[in-house]
Amino acid sequence: MRDLLRLLGLFRPYARWIAAGILLTITVTLANIGLLALSGWFITAMALAGLGSGRINYFTPAAGIRGLAILRTGGRYLERLVTHEATFRLLSRLRVWFYEHLEPLAPARLQYYRGGDLLSRIRADIDTLDNFYLRVLAPSIAAAISVLVVIGFMALFSVPVALTNLAGLLLAGIALPLLAQRLGRAPGERTVAVRAELRSAVADAVRGQGELRVYQAGRRQAERVERLSDELITPQRRQAHINGLSAALSGLVTQFSVWIAVLIAIPLVSQKSLDGPGLAMIALFVMASFESINALPLAFQTLGETLAAARRIFEIVDTRPAVTEPAEDASRPASFGLRLTRLRMRYTENAAWALDSIDLDVPAGGRLGIIGATGSGKTSLLNVLLRFWDYQEGEVEIGDVPLRAFRGETVRSWCAVVAQQTHLFNTSVRQNLLLARPEASEAELIEALRQANIHDEIMALPEGLDTFVGETGTRLSGGQARRVAIARALLKDAPILILDEPTEGLDAESEHAVLQALQILMQDRTTLLITHRPQALSYVDDIAVMSHGRIIERGAPTTLLQEGRHLSAYAHIS
Amino acid sequence: MPRTTGKLLNDWLRSHVGRVRRPLTAAVAVGAVGGLLLILQAWLLALTINAVAIEGHGLTYVWPWMTGLIGVFAARAVVSALSEATAFEAAARVKLDVRKRVYAHLEALGPAWTRQQRTGDLANTLIDGVESLEKYYANYLPQTALAAFIPFAILVFVFPSDWISGLIMLITAPLIPFFMILIGKGAERLNQRQWRKLARMSAHFFDVIEGLTTLKLFNASRFEAEVVAQISDEYRRSTMAVLRVAFLSSLVLEFLATVSIAMVAVFIGFRLLYGDIHYLPGFFVLLLAPEFYLPLRNMGTQYHARMEAIGASEQIVKLLNTPLPESKAGTDSLPDAAPLDIRFEHVGFAYEPGQAVLTDIDFSLAHGERVALVGPSGAGKTTLSQLLLGFMQPQSGRISVNGVDLSELSEDAWLSRVAWLPQRPTLFHGSILDNIRLGRPDATPEAVHRAAELANAATFIEALPQSYDTQVGDRGQGLSGGEIQRIALARAFLKNAQLVVLDEASASLDPETEALITESVERLAHDRAMLIIAHRLETVRRADRILVLNRGRIAEQGRHDELLAGGGLYAGMNSLYGGAGA
Repeated sequence: MRDLLRLLGLFRPYARWIAAGILLTITVTLANIGLLALSGWFITAMALAGLGSGRINYFTPAAGIRGLAILRTGGRYLERLVTHEATFRLLSRLRVWFYEHLEPLAPARLQYYRGGDLLSRIRADIDTLDNFYLRVLAPSIAAAISVLVVIGFMALFSVPVALTNLAGLLLAGIALPLLAQRLGRAPGERTVAVRAELRSAVADAVRGQGELRVYQAGRRQAERVERLSDELITPQRRQAHINGLSAALSGLVTQFSVWIAVLIAIPLVSQKSLDGPGLAMIALFVMASFESINALPLAFQTLGETLAAARRIFEIVDTRPAVTEPAEDASRPASFGLRLTRLRMRYTENAAWALDSIDLDVPAGGRLGIIGATGSGKTSLLNVLLRFWDYQEGEVEIGDVPLRAFRGETVRSWCAVVAQQTHLFNTSVRQNLLLARPEASEAELIEALRQANIHDEIMALPEGLDTFVGETGTRLSGGQARRVAIARALLKDAPILILDEPTEGLDAESEHAVLQALQILMQDRTTLLITHRPQALSYVDDIAVMSHGRIIERGAPTTLLQEGRHLSAYAHIS
Repeated sequence: MPRTTGKLLNDWLRSHVGRVRRPLTAAVAVGAVGGLLLILQAWLLALTINAVAIEGHGLTYVWPWMTGLIGVFAARAVVSALSEATAFEAAARVKLDVRKRVYAHLEALGPAWTRQQRTGDLANTLIDGVESLEKYYANYLPQTALAAFIPFAILVFVFPSDWISGLIMLITAPLIPFFMILIGKGAERLNQRQWRKLARMSAHFFDVIEGLTTLKLFNASRFEAEVVAQISDEYRRSTMAVLRVAFLSSLVLEFLATVSIAMVAVFIGFRLLYGDIHYLPGFFVLLLAPEFYLPLRNMGTQYHARMEAIGASEQIVKLLNTPLPESKAGTDSLPDAAPLDIRFEHVGFAYEPGQAVLTDIDFSLAHGERVALVGPSGAGKTTLSQLLLGFMQPQSGRISVNGVDLSELSEDAWLSRVAWLPQRPTLFHGSILDNIRLGRPDATPEAVHRAAELANAATFIEALPQSYDTQVGDRGQGLSGGEIQRIALARAFLKNAQLVVLDEASASLDPETEALITESVERLAHDRAMLIIAHRLETVRRADRILVLNRGRIAEQGRHDELLAGGGLYAGMNSLYGGAGA
């Protein structure tokens, strides 16, 4: 409930649009009910007048019928426009709000979530929330109000009819959907579970196809997939039966409501407390009144998903940022040497130290190579240096000033990073470069590309600098993307350079081209190079070997290779 | 999607109808009975109202009709549930059928093909893609048939009752599908373009979120909130401009259905006043009018279900149309227990004609030998190992095993002698025990434990809370890369094959794990033939022979020290480690 209120609170700025959409939905529903009821009343009254039992002013009801038909048609058009307008406004608001809350958390607190694929979860959750207004909020409020109006109107004619009609509406609009939902929970969960199992069986079969063949287990895996595919049908069948039954019952409730209304009304006609046209009107009115609750089953179904999605999104948004910023920024240091003294860092209070007693000294313009296994602490070191995570003990200094004295943004403005997973945005090469220096001139862009050894390849693309990076068709190769990232780092022209496996996953030729580009980039910059490629190691003047958060070996590349015990364990030949 | 493709896909969807004709026909037949019951219900209700409102009868007089109504209600409920259940069966049968065929095709395409695909995409096609077909068979097909039948049946009853109303309905009815088609071709296309724009806008939003770290590195992240707002606002404005027009056509639709009902009511009313018709047929027609338009109005939803199924079938059909590799029809078997003698004789291979990946590969691998394959990535190492495994056939030259051409051997005869460890071994969903005995499902637990010991895996497996019964796979306990490799090694030990093909992991492991794996590989190499795609210095030093592959050719071969002394490509790759304990 708290999540629901918070979600509604988010939407407050657009309360008018929301209300207008709901009002129009109600208008459309009531116009249709009115149209049918009035038609029933009209033809009965006309028939009686034709038979000579009474006179009739037929202009007003005939005009009413036409008016209601037009009101319904026009109202429906406006309703669709307004509810869509509201949906898009909410969608925009939701995204900006989410982004603004997410931004301070990245990447530290987000890395923490990486267990489940965070991004695809966020994507699905935001999509679900996008539909909250159109599918849940508007239909349920409109239904509630319409039902009140309908019942109020019916009570003017006969309170018992109004009450049975209300009972029918509640039964078909709330009780049945809830019942169906409850019955459907078990098969629903089973479907999700079997589907996940089937998915992993298929994924296993795709990924492990070679192994299945060599170990002659393909038949067994195929049988497993087929069995799961069969098994998936059982809960789905149950779900289909529940849905079918619930639709049938809801129809039954509608018809019985009409039946009971007629049953109550017939004696009233006999007693002359209701006239013939009144009876026809009541029958049609009750029948049409069920239109007001049409959208409720779907709304109930979506509500659960929406709240779950909202809960997860709020959970992310409510996380505390990993780093507290200083109130005031220290002034720019004279030089950009790095010194780490007995540095210790861990991600949570009870976790093992991710970095333990690290001592490192890289003079301004010096180059340090860092080597280590996955999980040895290389990434943690970067997280600390870039101010993405805080450290608990020891000190990090840039040009003799403690790192904590600077704001995160300031520190990052001094660092250029080329990483294996540096993100190129799905926009033009130019836009990707301008990210580093928005005011860069065309000539500067070209120069950066040239230095990064990618100029000719970019210019050979159909639209040159304006080629889209990620769109299908003109995708860049891994090596090209990496060099665009290097050009971006060149443009940033920062005094500290951090290279995280810059040639990982590239073929020999691309690696050569990337290394050449890096050589230019490293000039006069304090450089940290994380790698296990021998070719890259020849560019540094000092190496630190890391294992389990500690530095286990230090020295110049040549000395270490001659005498070191650990380096060769990481050395890869190809 | 071009219209022709859409048509082809529609034909593909239709091609499955034959196999499920019986449940589909049943669903439509039952639905049709429901439609007739609906008409009967309207008639009984009209009789009742007429008797009371016009003729002044009481409850007792109309009681037979009232009880009749209860019977009709019950029958309609049964029929409606039954129709849905039958339609589901049709859809279920198609889904099972298609999934089975797609999986079989995937298997036939083989590891050489799947290796180049994205696992997630294929899994999506096979799971979600096939699921999206359901609505086509369960809803679209039966509902469109009923959307033709029910209005027709209603007309049959309306005409004798009041031909003028019948005429109004007959004239307006075809206009609805007509406008529906117009929407489908014109405005709806605009509408869909907007939805694609929405997808693009979403893609941008998530691109930004994914790249948040990079944005932060360039201190551009805070600015991006404005961009997100701006893009979604622009999107809203342009979409609403389109929707204002697009919704106009549905306005026409709505107008036709609603105003026709109003017209029917007003016309009936006036003719009743002038005594041209009787009340009973008039009221009966009024009751039927909304029911007449309802299935036509719902056709929009059905059309959507169809579009969805066509969209989903695109990937499925694409997969099914991927041509299968030439099948290997070898039937020969190898004499039992003979030590292996494998020869590559001038083997050449190209994925695309004219772009050779391997050229003139010539080497031998005998029982008890360990051959290491090195070279820059893209040199053809993986292709070579896949040829040896029989995943693909060489286009020139031949691979022989004890003198027999590998392509003459039956797959079973050959692979029963081979074990393979890929760079990233797959752990299949299930227990560690089952994963180790992948190649020998009937192996005893003792044999599995023994294999795990040989693979230096027993210690960590036994330390797990559920030991060998620990569930692994994507929902199982997370194992480290080194642990997964040792389970794969245990698999190979258990199979006890004569040839082991090993693609060494290129990721860095910590030195202790590294040592355990090296030791185990050493054990595995004993008394077998082994081909290793090597990445580590340590591995090549221990090899009996090193083949240096470059641009698809064997550039050098020999022992580690021989090659170093030779001063060629291999020596160059090693230059940095030159003096390191060779």
